[in-house]
Amino acid sequence: MTYSGEHLLIGQLGNTFTILAFAFSFLSMVAYFLADLKKDDQYLRIGRIAYLAHSISVIGMVATLFAMIFNQYFEYHYVWQHSNTEMPMKYIFSCFWEGIEGSFMIWTFWHVILGLILFKSVKSWEAPVMSVISAVQFFMLTMLLGVYVFDYKFGSNPFIMLLREHPDFLGLPLFNNPDYTEVIDGRGLNPLLQNYWMVIHPPFVLFGYATAIVPFAYAIAGLLRGKFIEWVRPALPWTFFGIGVLGIGVLMGGAWAYESLSFGGFWAWDPVENASLVPWLTMVGAGHLMLIQRKKGVSVFSLFLMVTITFCLVQYASFLTKSGVLGETSVHSFTDLGMTAQLAISLLFFIGLSIFLIVKNFKKFPKQDREESSTSREFWMFVSALVLLMSAFIISFSTSFPVINQIFGTNLATSGERIDYYNQWLTPFAIIVSFLVAIGQFLSYTKTDMPRFWKRLSISLGLSVIVTVTMSYSMSIYNPIYVVMLLSTSLAAFANLDYWARILKGKIKGAGPSIAHFGFGLLLLGILVSTSQSTVISSNSSLYDISVLGDDFDNNENILLMLDDTLIMGDFFVAYRGKRSEDNFIHYQVDYMTMNEKGVLELDFSLYPFLQLNPRMGNVAEPYTKHYAHKDIYTHISYAELEDKDAKPTSEEHSIVIGDTIFTRTSFMVFDSLDRNPQSSFKGLSENDLAIGAHFTLFDVDTKAHHLEPLFVLKDRQYSMTVPDSLSELGIKIGFEGIDPEKENFKFRVVEDQPKFNDFIVMKAIVFPGINILWLGCLIMGLGTFFSVIQRIRRN
Amino acid sequence: MKKSHIALIIVIAILIGAMVTAINDSSSYADFSEAFSEPSGEFHVVGKLNRDRQMIYDPVSNPDEFIFYMTDIKNEEKKVVLHKSKPQDFERSEQIVLIGSAQGDEFHANDILMKCPSKYQDGEITAKDQSQI
Repeated sequence: MTYSGEHLLIGQLGNTFTILAFAFSFLSMVAYFLADLKKDDQYLRIGRIAYLAHSISVIGMVATLFAMIFNQYFEYHYVWQHSNTEMPMKYIFSCFWEGIEGSFMIWTFWHVILGLILFKSVKSWEAPVMSVISAVQFFMLTMLLGVYVFDYKFGSNPFIMLLREHPDFLGLPLFNNPDYTEVIDGRGLNPLLQNYWMVIHPPFVLFGYATAIVPFAYAIAGLLRGKFIEWVRPALPWTFFGIGVLGIGVLMGGAWAYESLSFGGFWAWDPVENASLVPWLTMVGAGHLMLIQRKKGVSVFSLFLMVTITFCLVQYASFLTKSGVLGETSVHSFTDLGMTAQLAISLLFFIGLSIFLIVKNFKKFPKQDREESSTSREFWMFVSALVLLMSAFIISFSTSFPVINQIFGTNLATSGERIDYYNQWLTPFAIIVSFLVAIGQFLSYTKTDMPRFWKRLSISLGLSVIVTVTMSYSMSIYNPIYVVMLLSTSLAAFANLDYWARILKGKIKGAGPSIAHFGFGLLLLGILVSTSQSTVISSNSSLYDISVLGDDFDNNENILLMLDDTLIMGDFFVAYRGKRSEDNFIHYQVDYMTMNEKGVLELDFSLYPFLQLNPRMGNVAEPYTKHYAHKDIYTHISYAELEDKDAKPTSEEHSIVIGDTIFTRTSFMVFDSLDRNPQSSFKGLSENDLAIGAHFTLFDVDTKAHHLEPLFVLKDRQYSMTVPDSLSELGIKIGFEGIDPEKENFKFRVVEDQPKFNDFIVMKAIVFPGINILWLGCLIMGLGTFFSVIQRIRRN
Repeated sequence: MKKSHIALIIVIAILIGAMVTAINDSSSYADFSEAFSEPSGEFHVVGKLNRDRQMIYDPVSNPDEFIFYMTDIKNEEKKVVLHKSKPQDFERSEQIVLIGSAQGDEFHANDILMKCPSKYQDGEITAKDQSQI
């Protein structure tokens, strides 16, 4: 069958770009390498042309895939898999990187951009630096080839046709239509990713990852050329640029999780989150070692180690998320595309290259004979870099359990209290780092005048003690570890602010480090306060709680709200007011009220947590948060009945004598007497009929009495029939069904409607105090980092 | 001895300590028989929801309790008490991982991880207009 509607040209274009990008990265790598080896300008020219051609091809690949998604060419597998016609166009970027192929493509794209900037600025380092970058690109592009070599598939190609990837679809009637492209729709984007944070966060993190290539390329270049120190100066601003970008990118992920995932927080120590945090930590360490190197000299071994580790950790992060090794341990790893071996080889290549070059040159490294004074700035900067490396190692170790299990056949799993586990382990490190951040700038290189140091630090120390005491008192933070962290983080904030104000006299020039460190102090302070003081206010206070729980396992973190019931929750009265469907969203309105002096409930605010319905990917609950300056109130739906099930009324037969009581779910009724001459309003009786009435007094929950009189009728004194009586407001109906003259008892049938429990929600609400300190700290830190990068570039 | 050497020794000591505690604090993947032979320990049990057995979620009496039956990899079935609200779309889960410990005849889970099929498989096709398939 020939299909007329397929857009074949664009796919061929994409494939051509892929092959060209791959071939030129190889050519560029070899030519640049030879150029450095043979000091031959001919090779240098070839390298340049090849790299430019490679760059154009990668940009072409990105543009082609983008055009395919934009035009909704569902005849292509990648487009079909990651988008559909329903999806709003604003999420087109999310579709682009939802798959491994697209995410690799963005990563290589950032490398290309960085390479093009370097191209202009590397000068004498051009040949080895560009050779390393081309080598990385070469490995990355093997992941996008999608070609078979001896039955082994290399990479996964985003330009492949749907029917090529899914020959099984050929049998479907849809494909009997030569114009199937007019009809076919895609599978759509994962609902979790249909979020504005998700449009910007992944490209940002990938950009942060990409920046690690620059110091790595310089370091390898330094090792290749045997120039162990000279590469640091040009690599330094790039490293801090990477710190800024990756740092913000990582916290954007936190913001996404906080705003739109319902696990209740901004950080869950998920393996994928950890994988992005760890390279940031070592990158910060590497940047600071570089600073020492520039000022006083540092052991070049530690420098090379830290820079190469950072790059390898970035590759490792990519391995963890893309190889499928994390499997069920992470919510947001990619699907395994069978590229595990290929990813592992690429990772091992870079680890091997780094180790080989460091070992080979180790003897030639300049010796560091001078003993640093323990009051010198460089000594404590070195210590903080070590502390960062250690914390990176500790996080990586537990995160790598799935990898360790694969290699050693063990069964390790991170404990169920994963978050507590990591928090416990990393708090001491955070305390040490924040103390060092606080004193760092007050220390001088070589040797510090200690009396002057204490005098300068005293104001900040005093202020932070006051803040610690007030905060721990007002927020009842009594855990000694937390109190110490409160002190160290507030000291980090005050000391750096003070340093900027008094010693730098508030000038912007040279203020970058102080501002960044001030932001870092605030960030840690915000993490401490919002994490340790967050409280789940939604324990179940509904009337329906039967309190037979007595189970210490029970975390009791959810509240059941029936429609329009008002319950107490924390400092609020909450009520669920109903739901509203809009497209594939169901918004639930939850009113938060407080009681004023007159004892009247007043509406404070309404929150609209929602469910995103997606029959293909599963339904997703997304939170809704009320933001105050000092705290957030975060609410999400834990459970809601989606189908309106009609509860069946219960029907029960009772055989009783006069004076007995029948109990129903909401009431009880007493059988008072029989009436042989009933005054019923029932019109269907004739004179020939024999009717007997039963008087019941029904008491409802408010012990209000109601009268009911069902009849038992012998029609024409022959056929029995019953004339029930009912109380519609309670949904109760009672029928008089028979008389047993021997036992003198009477049969009644009580039919009772079941309450409609459909309209209820089970929700969770958490108060996060001081979370804005965290976001503010992050912004300030990013800003300070970029200030210092600009400063450095100017100085260079 | 140089200060850096002392620092290095301290670092190594802390790292070894960290690894040891990490392994001690870790729980492990297991099947039901292992988990039930050691009721005090915390385990990750992988298995499948038994759709034929009853699932009980009565948020009115306790929104933080959900009871169902799971079959582990070795086809052993146990009653599971999850101390959380019923996860959205639970019925569609293809594979589940429970984190918790054995108590009597029941497995009490504090947490659950689910894998839903559609996220990981593609074997279906849709048209813009359903009537055209």
